[in-house]
Amino acid sequence: MKKHFTIWHKTALLSVQSAFTHRLGVIMFSLAKLLRFAMFIGFIFLIHSQVKIVGGYSLNQMIIFFLVFNLLDLYGQIFFRGIYWFRNQVVSGEFDFRLVKPASPLFQALTRQTDILDVPLFFITLIYLITQVPTISPLAPIMIVASLIVITSIHIFVASLGIITTEVDHTIMIYRDLSSMARFPIDIYTDNIRALLTFAIPIALAFTFPAKAILGLLSFPTVIISLLASCAIFWLSLKFWHYAINQYSSASS
Amino acid sequence: MKWQKYLQVAKTSWQAGFVYRLSFVMWRVRVVVQFLAIYFLWTAILGNHNDSFGYTESQLLTYIIGTSIIRTFVFSSRSIDAQGEIASGDLSNYLVKPLNYFTYWLSRDISDKLLNILFMIGEIAIFIFVVRPPLFFPSNLIFVLLALIATILAIIMYYYFSFLVSMTTFWLPEENGWPQRFLIFVLLEFLAGGLFPLNILPPALYKIAAVLPPAYMLNHPLQIYLGKFNLQQSILTIIVTAIWIIGLREFANRVFKRGLKVYGAYGR
Repeated sequence: MKKHFTIWHKTALLSVQSAFTHRLGVIMFSLAKLLRFAMFIGFIFLIHSQVKIVGGYSLNQMIIFFLVFNLLDLYGQIFFRGIYWFRNQVVSGEFDFRLVKPASPLFQALTRQTDILDVPLFFITLIYLITQVPTISPLAPIMIVASLIVITSIHIFVASLGIITTEVDHTIMIYRDLSSMARFPIDIYTDNIRALLTFAIPIALAFTFPAKAILGLLSFPTVIISLLASCAIFWLSLKFWHYAINQYSSASS
Repeated sequence: MKWQKYLQVAKTSWQAGFVYRLSFVMWRVRVVVQFLAIYFLWTAILGNHNDSFGYTESQLLTYIIGTSIIRTFVFSSRSIDAQGEIASGDLSNYLVKPLNYFTYWLSRDISDKLLNILFMIGEIAIFIFVVRPPLFFPSNLIFVLLALIATILAIIMYYYFSFLVSMTTFWLPEENGWPQRFLIFVLLEFLAGGLFPLNILPPALYKIAAVLPPAYMLNHPLQIYLGKFNLQQSILTIIVTAIWIIGLREFANRVFKRGLKVYGAYGR
């Protein structure tokens, strides 16, 4: 554990140094991320100027759902940015060098890059969320842990698929497009879409349930079932990773 | 004879699209997912409200479906890779060849857009057959024709606009020009009207957004189709788009020439 933290700390520091070699780039990336966040908040206000209740949720609740989505989505983007470079490692054979190092190749694949540029937005979102939620349900931390486990598992699934198929870029973007549906509570969608986003791809578990837990809209048994389900998904993702590693043919080396 | 080489470039680009088949399939899945995400978001927002934001349900959903369709033609682009070539120095390979760099990328873009159109037709047909969304059809076919013209002009307009963004890499080669491209992507996402019709914005904001180039790429062609613009406004929109194209083309040519003067052919 300590070894992996040291590796992450080193690579994170290198990522920060690398990012700040392009200072104008840092400004433009950060500005774009903040603009996107602000404009989407504006979009929610725009909707509520005409439709007061969307799927049974008020303006304040919709904003909380969006902020929680943003916060958890940023967790994946900050810590698992390495996934966006993983295809290149597999296709070029560079992944071979990761396999011979005395650290988990999965850990190296996911955390190769840390996106420091998402950190300011993370704190802005967190502060905004704290101002919007006067009291947090005691079940919320459990549900947030379950969500982090699910998001991690999805990234492991994508990395595993990348080894088997050499396709990562579109897969991770499909996940991000699907997860963007959780910027609003998934309850507002039709039954089929809701079922897809809850059972087939656990987007609801990752993004909507934590927001509901914060708002006190989830019961204790639901939270416990969600936590158990997230552990099961994590176990499956690790199994799949081990299967994928066994299939790795090191084609380009 | 002059065009044959560009035809060959387009053919090669078309074939290259199918080389990584799983990647191709996943790309199409992604296009469909993006489309469905925004469609179902709006059906959920509308709920039982038949008239919202000054649109009927069929008008608003037609707008969302329409913008999702035409964005795949307008915004699909291979010429985005030009910025990487400028930053890496690969541009030099083209400068010594007897071809026009703009036309080279235009032919690749056309090939990419044809690929998009071909598959989008099938995907939308399946979507309409399965979901049966309420669609709006204008009573006067002239608006369909004008919307089609506005869309074709929007494709050309975006090509020059996108090329201009790529050419900023001559001066800002950091990270292959991605920071400025990402900023433009974010602005286009909202200002082109892909997420919502621009006229639902507060009047003061709409006045500004409506005259900016992005609005002519998605919002205005669909407003013409929906009959939200009358005949005079529709024709004026087409004329303004044509003027934007001429301006952007001229500007892009000048920027390219200036860019070549500062081009350092890094890595060569």
